[in-house]
Amino acid sequence: MIEKDVRCPKCHEIVTFSGEPGERLTVTCPKCGAQGKVTFKKSTIDQDYAIEVSHLKKIYGDLAAVDDISFSVPKGEIFAFLGPNGAGKTTTVEIIESIREPTMGTIRIFGKDITSSFNEVKEKIGILPQEFQSFEKLTVKETLVYFSKLYKKRADIDDIIGAMDLKDNQNKLYKNLSGGLKQRVGVAISLVNDPEIVFLDEPSTGLDPKARREVWEVIANLRSKGKTVFLTTHYMEEAEYLADHIAIIHKGKIIAEGSLEELINRYGKGSLLHIKGCKTGNTVELLRENGFNATSKENGNIAVTIGHKDRLLEVLSHLRHKCVDYDSIDIRRPNLEEIFLQLTGAKLSEVKA
Amino acid sequence: MNLRIIASDFNASLKTWKRSKGTMFWTIAFPVLLILIFGAIFSGADEVTYEFHVQDLDDSDWSHTFINILDNISVVDIKTVSSDENITAFIEKETLSVALVIPGGFGEAIDKSFFDEEITVNVSFHYDPSEQGSSASILRSIVTSSLQEFNMQLSGGRRIIGVDQISTITEDFDFIDFFIPGMIGFTIMTSCIYGSIERNTKFRKDGILRKLLTTPITRAEWILAKMLFMLFLSFVSTLVILVVGTLVWGVSLHINLFMIVFMVVIIIATSFLFSGIGMIIGRFVKEEETADMAGGAITFPMMFLAGTFFSLDMMPEFMQSIARILPLYYVNEGLRNAMIYTNIDKTIFNTAIVLIFAAIFFLVGVFVTKWKED
Ligand SMILES: Nc1ncnc2c1ncn2[C@@H]1O[C@H](COP(=O)(O)OP(=O)(O)O)[C@@H](O)[C@H]1O
Ligand SMILES: [Mg+2]
Repeated sequence: MIEKDVRCPKCHEIVTFSGEPGERLTVTCPKCGAQGKVTFKKSTIDQDYAIEVSHLKKIYGDLAAVDDISFSVPKGEIFAFLGPNGAGKTTTVEIIESIREPTMGTIRIFGKDITSSFNEVKEKIGILPQEFQSFEKLTVKETLVYFSKLYKKRADIDDIIGAMDLKDNQNKLYKNLSGGLKQRVGVAISLVNDPEIVFLDEPSTGLDPKARREVWEVIANLRSKGKTVFLTTHYMEEAEYLADHIAIIHKGKIIAEGSLEELINRYGKGSLLHIKGCKTGNTVELLRENGFNATSKENGNIAVTIGHKDRLLEVLSHLRHKCVDYDSIDIRRPNLEEIFLQLTGAKLSEVKA
Repeated sequence: MNLRIIASDFNASLKTWKRSKGTMFWTIAFPVLLILIFGAIFSGADEVTYEFHVQDLDDSDWSHTFINILDNISVVDIKTVSSDENITAFIEKETLSVALVIPGGFGEAIDKSFFDEEITVNVSFHYDPSEQGSSASILRSIVTSSLQEFNMQLSGGRRIIGVDQISTITEDFDFIDFFIPGMIGFTIMTSCIYGSIERNTKFRKDGILRKLLTTPITRAEWILAKMLFMLFLSFVSTLVILVVGTLVWGVSLHINLFMIVFMVVIIIATSFLFSGIGMIIGRFVKEEETADMAGGAITFPMMFLAGTFFSLDMMPEFMQSIARILPLYYVNEGLRNAMIYTNIDKTIFNTAIVLIFAAIFFLVGVFVTKWKED
């Protein structure tokens, strides 16, 4: 008998089924009742996933810092773990990195349970811990050489320095670097063994917008090198900009998961249309009569929520038909911030642990 | 164990040390400054005596002959000590640095030795080890060479007469001789405690320990690399202290293999001992500054209570008994007995205690610290 975790294609619940290797079973999702087929591999090694987490739980006293979460990270993707401070991101990532022990649950990296295989896994992963500070009195280059000597497999240090754009600073002492440079060195350190998976725990927290952009470029670069990146962040722009796949975590639970498109389609209330400088009275009433969710804002601005893209044209044709006079129109699709607000009733940037 | 990793870590520690003015100060400049200051305060003129007090308890022809041999040496001025004096009390009363006692039966033994090859007899050479630089070593070599000559004349080289060396530790050895071993113990204590605290608090907060946990370096390799570096620092400090102490204040050390071995053993054990204490502090006080304060709260009182810079004999009885429970006390005593007093029994005793303390604190330190997070 082997076990297999399957994500229900309909409700995205992860369900564990068991069967014999090679067997193909028809199964029913216990949550939404959807039916599907599950094939149990002859080999239990699932080649497609870099990381598989199932039913992970971490209890501190009465607090479930991580509360029974399951997810899988496909190879070669940037996977963002998005959530406010205290959501359980670091706890999760550090359990995957074997820095903390889980209360419950299993972690597989490249198909192997890490409780027995972590020593081999070490050569294949590179991590940047949260709020990492390296040795103050070593230069950038010395630091990279130091960490690379710990591994059997070593990437070319000069290549990394070039890729991370650190050439001009390679002979500076670490303590004299700016925050952004330090984080770039941190990412560079996580690459010295040419790892297959890179873990970055809040790599841009505390940086100014320009430095943050530079760190993003460096991370985006990792995807083009074919590396799997596990990124935690509480900046929704960061997840939007970088991630192929986003899991939103709140109070130890994954509350939504998918690509940015999927999340917006599934949870977004639709796009937001702004009619600016409307000079014709009763426009709000007109739109409401036609079944639109319109609200009046200051300076004659009107906000309209659009559920489906076809409705957009309807709004425009109504405006034209009644000769409504306005200055401009802009349209914005919902972002993760709004999705988070909608799912939790709290703002991502304001939630405190 | 991966030697490449250990060598690389040692090298990184060395670079860091060379670039850290603070650590350089505490391991080198601070002890040198203290030696210069304290030495200047307490230095007294060395009075060199070539007077040689000899007590002849035998009063035979042979003993007279031997005393004559000594007396004939131009730099020696023999003073006879009456045979009813207790020699130890006499040395103390007259504040002598050396004295020679020819035991009763000396002549008889020599007479018998012509027929019995097994017979030997020893004279006793009493000396104050803290006054080695002055007359004592000269007189000691005079006695030894005279005896050699005498043995040669008597038997053609068989060692009939030997020397028992009896150290007479008096209260008035040079302050600097007392101070230098204490300075060595103190410097090793501070650099090991603070180094260990930094590794177990700052490195934890900065995520370095978590990072290392996900790399192939093992904790054993890391600890070994760091301990090798701490030993390197301890020996550098010791060397600097000894060189400055000798060049500036003329501390005269007993350089012989036995004592060097014990000194090295004590220095190694001391480094492990205080690194272990640093680990224990780092385990319970997570914040670096607070941990440094805890380190200060342990090292600073220990420095005074363990008789590092001032002799405990000046302190009240209860303070002396406190010293007996402090590891630094045994480090100080061990180093002093090895380097200065050359008291073999006390050296062995104190070294053994230091080794026991080192084993306990280091093992507990390694046991209570972990890299993993909760
Ligand atoms: N070692 C610990 N002991 C007790 N509580 C902890 C510990 N580590 C984390 N927590 C708690 O677990 C929750 C999740 O923390 P963390 O994983 O650091 O969140 P994030 O990284 O998302 O900001 C927080 O409420 C935090 O206070
Ligand atoms: Mg965190």
